[in-house]
Amino acid sequence: MTVSIVLVALAVGAYLVAVLESWAVHGRLEPARPAISALALLGRESLLARTPDRLFFEAGPVVLLVAGLLAVAVIPLAPGLIVTDLATGALFLNAALAYVLVALIMAGWGPNGAYAMIGGWRFLGQFVAYAMLIVMPITAVAMRAESLSTVDIVTSQSTLWNIAYQPLGFVLFVAAAMGLCWLPPLDLPTARGDLTGGIEAEYTGARLAVLRLARMVLIMALAGATVTFYLGGWLGPWLPAWAWSAIKILFVAGLMVSVGRLVPRVREAQYLEISWKLGIPLALANIFLVGVITLVVPI
Amino acid sequence: MTPQMIFLMFFGGAAVWFGIVVFRTHSMVRSALALLFSQTAVGVMFLLMQAEFLGVLQIMMMATEMSVMAIFMVMFMMDPGGMGAMDMTHQKRLSLWAGGIGFVAALAVIWLADWGPANLQIPDATEQTAELGRELLGRSMFIFESAALMILTAMVAATMVAIHPNEGRKR
Repeated sequence: MTVSIVLVALAVGAYLVAVLESWAVHGRLEPARPAISALALLGRESLLARTPDRLFFEAGPVVLLVAGLLAVAVIPLAPGLIVTDLATGALFLNAALAYVLVALIMAGWGPNGAYAMIGGWRFLGQFVAYAMLIVMPITAVAMRAESLSTVDIVTSQSTLWNIAYQPLGFVLFVAAAMGLCWLPPLDLPTARGDLTGGIEAEYTGARLAVLRLARMVLIMALAGATVTFYLGGWLGPWLPAWAWSAIKILFVAGLMVSVGRLVPRVREAQYLEISWKLGIPLALANIFLVGVITLVVPI
Repeated sequence: MTPQMIFLMFFGGAAVWFGIVVFRTHSMVRSALALLFSQTAVGVMFLLMQAEFLGVLQIMMMATEMSVMAIFMVMFMMDPGGMGAMDMTHQKRLSLWAGGIGFVAALAVIWLADWGPANLQIPDATEQTAELGRELLGRSMFIFESAALMILTAMVAATMVAIHPNEGRKR
């Protein structure tokens, strides 16, 4: 029952985020656009590149979708409304998201095309930049909650949300999360106008539909993780818990798909440099600060 | 036979099979990802043996490590796609002997070591994580810190080797 509710919520959320993204790209609010696009993709022929690595070509989009769904499984939408409350939930989320990289390498290598391959390897470079900035802010969040369970992390924020407790971690995590779902300005793996779609270049028809759906699921998972770790999850006055989760997740996802478009695209070398020279020292400082605050001032 | 044992055997078999696939394929990327799935199967075995933290950690770490290894294999190998049907094996006699001796030694350790009585009271996942933390920051701290220092040294050395010696002078 819980699984069905979470899946329906995920489908509705992904659809709304797709509407928001098309609004951010085209400047027009067209609620039917994702449905029409999906139908068009499903109706088209799904072409197969010449001499592909067939196994990777077929598996890439599916592995991406599975990774996104597994990440969603540990995100609590309300008390009791979580697919599985693992004792190592925050770590499990990381483990699931690590397979995004595997999926994109498969999707990049599989079609035997130059643009796709460059896109796939670019994502690996991007991964080296964002990976530590996903894990280290989560460490600080788990330190405050004294638990890796996502439910405990939400309840630990009942007096003060983590966005106020560790704002530095929030900024680093959101920036890294946008790199993880290759959203502008960090959209190097697809890079329209540069790689003609990159990893999406050789995918058509139903396979492309799965790839795009998987990316939406990934955006929802990352928005859900941001809300769980920093914005108090389901906590909030007056409205029911699930409504707060829905509002917050949609708000974060909306910001993620729209704001980055106002900034020029960041090259992977620049992204690596910023992440390692600035991001990681800041993340370490964040862990240290949170440790001191946790020990000195019990909030 | 409990379902747990059946799944354990299944994933154990999968780990060995993917390990064999590593050497049977000609494509570097397939080889790296086969090794990843072999290690992931080991991670699932940890989960089945109710070592949740270790299992999740294994599944997470291997995904990133093997992907990074894949790009190095593609960079350094002459035939990364396996289109030229390059043979993945070399020094066959030596590796057969080394593998055989390693296998026998592992079996000997498994059968001859005194493992003590099986622990029937498995602590829950939260308790396991806390105990691991105490172990890492207590008795085992020195081992892990020295390993970390060695890896750091290797990383710095590798970077030094990779940088062209005249790069600084060009600017």
